[in-house]
Amino acid sequence: MKIMLGVSLILALHAAPAWAVLGEYESSVSLDRQYMRGEDRVTTGQGYKLHQITSPNGAVVSEYISPQGRVFAVSWRGPFIPNLQQLLGSYITQVQQAAQTQTRRRGGPLVVRANDFVFVSGGHMRAFHGSAYVPSLFPQNVSAEVVR
Amino acid sequence: MTFKISSADPLGRFLGLVASLIVVAGCGGSGSKVTPTPTPTPPSGDNVLAVDINLGPNGDYVNGLFTSVQVCAPGSTTNCVTIPDVLVDTGSYGFRVLSSALGSLSLPSVTDLSGNAVQECVQYVSLAYNWGPVVQADLHLSGETASSASIQVISESPTYPVPSSCLVLGTNGAVDYNTVSALGANGILGVGALPQDCGSDCAEASPTTPMYYSCPNGNCQITSVPTSTTKGQLWNPVALFSQDNNGVLISLPTVPAGGQATASGSLIFGIGTQSNNAIGSAQIYATTPDQYFTTTYNGVSYRESFIDSGSNALNFLDSTTLGNIECSDYTGFYCPASTLNFNVTNTGINGTTGPVSFSIANADLLFQNLFAAYNDLGGDSGTTPSTQYFDFGIPFFYGRNVFVGIAGATVPNGASAPNGYWAY
Repeated sequence: MKIMLGVSLILALHAAPAWAVLGEYESSVSLDRQYMRGEDRVTTGQGYKLHQITSPNGAVVSEYISPQGRVFAVSWRGPFIPNLQQLLGSYITQVQQAAQTQTRRRGGPLVVRANDFVFVSGGHMRAFHGSAYVPSLFPQNVSAEVVR
Repeated sequence: MTFKISSADPLGRFLGLVASLIVVAGCGGSGSKVTPTPTPTPPSGDNVLAVDINLGPNGDYVNGLFTSVQVCAPGSTTNCVTIPDVLVDTGSYGFRVLSSALGSLSLPSVTDLSGNAVQECVQYVSLAYNWGPVVQADLHLSGETASSASIQVISESPTYPVPSSCLVLGTNGAVDYNTVSALGANGILGVGALPQDCGSDCAEASPTTPMYYSCPNGNCQITSVPTSTTKGQLWNPVALFSQDNNGVLISLPTVPAGGQATASGSLIFGIGTQSNNAIGSAQIYATTPDQYFTTTYNGVSYRESFIDSGSNALNFLDSTTLGNIECSDYTGFYCPASTLNFNVTNTGINGTTGPVSFSIANADLLFQNLFAAYNDLGGDSGTTPSTQYFDFGIPFFYGRNVFVGIAGATVPNGASAPNGYWAY
């Protein structure tokens, strides 16, 4: 069973399309939910819905869904960085550009603060964490404080 | 690498220096520490490796801590090569070296249970990666030896293409650290607070962590690699020594507020094992299982803070919070109009608590000096509710003796630090 769960998570994080994408609709999550059963914990917060997939090694990917069904934030935490191209969708180009141009700063975090996109990659080897969100997609009365 | 070093002429350097001195003088007290530690006379011994802050092999690395490592074929004392310009990194574990720096030295492969040569993909928070085979070597660090250690050879032209499962930015947008121009060093000596670079996650029958691979028929898949001291995962070389193996002490001199051209110090192996590595009056800050402690600033606790010689700045908070002080050209660094002073408190999970003071100067002005060592260099950690930390990079090490205690090793003074610790 444990092995099967691990396979499920790999597919969720590395295959496409397998998980909802920042800024897009939740539609693919329902399919994934069957596939990820036992791992995808869905909770409803004040004004938003939260999907959390947890892998056997403790890696967690969280997706924040607005009442309109849009993914307004994602976060991750664990021994590796998930496939950000998949999680961030079209927003990945801004992160790629930042990663390619941040040459003088070494060994530190990568931060993007664009007009309507915030991205942070932090931590260190074996303990990575980060988040990304789209301010304009936040539901009313929900602040960035909820993204953890 | 595209660095703007336009003021190479003496006048430009002079004006840059003057400008930074004016800023510093305007604020006063810049760079002072609340609890300064006297810089000791350079220690000597067979557990002491000389380290230097210099501009590195590309001539453009700021606050890079470099040393030399002798790499030998297992069991050989003659089939060896000495690798200069190796970055000393307390934020990673294990020794990685560019294939170009190894030259013709041939080293035996580490293989998985199926007999396939093990490859490794390593992610960094900057979202760059290293890719290449895992091989065995004897590492000689001063008088200490890590025998038959698993090391990674970072390949500019790898035998196998890097698997997409490791490329978090996608295949087309990936940023590699597989060349000296990109890495800014010939290798990385990871001497942080853990023994292995992955641990039990990668030793499971079907690992989920995309780190160790094997490539039968050219098809690279994640593979299981044990945590054994040989023929397994990469180990922090210090943990493989026969003595002085419970951690390291990094000792760097004080650096003036405006920086200085270079700085020289010591990487000393062992903690409390010899007369030159006694913990003395240093306080032990035990960490969480993720090697974090808490930093408190302005009444707010940032619970995932760490010390990292591989970070070349003090990375904390964000530009917006601090008054929009991000540099316009050097992405990620702070460029305040005048030097800012900060007082924070660090607290270990063992309850040890103590103040730290530091200053952040204008990176644009600092860099005009064309120095390698900057005490007052700061940058954005992008602190959000999900990432709350201070990353105490190289500036923290200036003027301090900083100990890194390896998880599970003997802790001095009977302190409890099962996940490892920092002491300073």
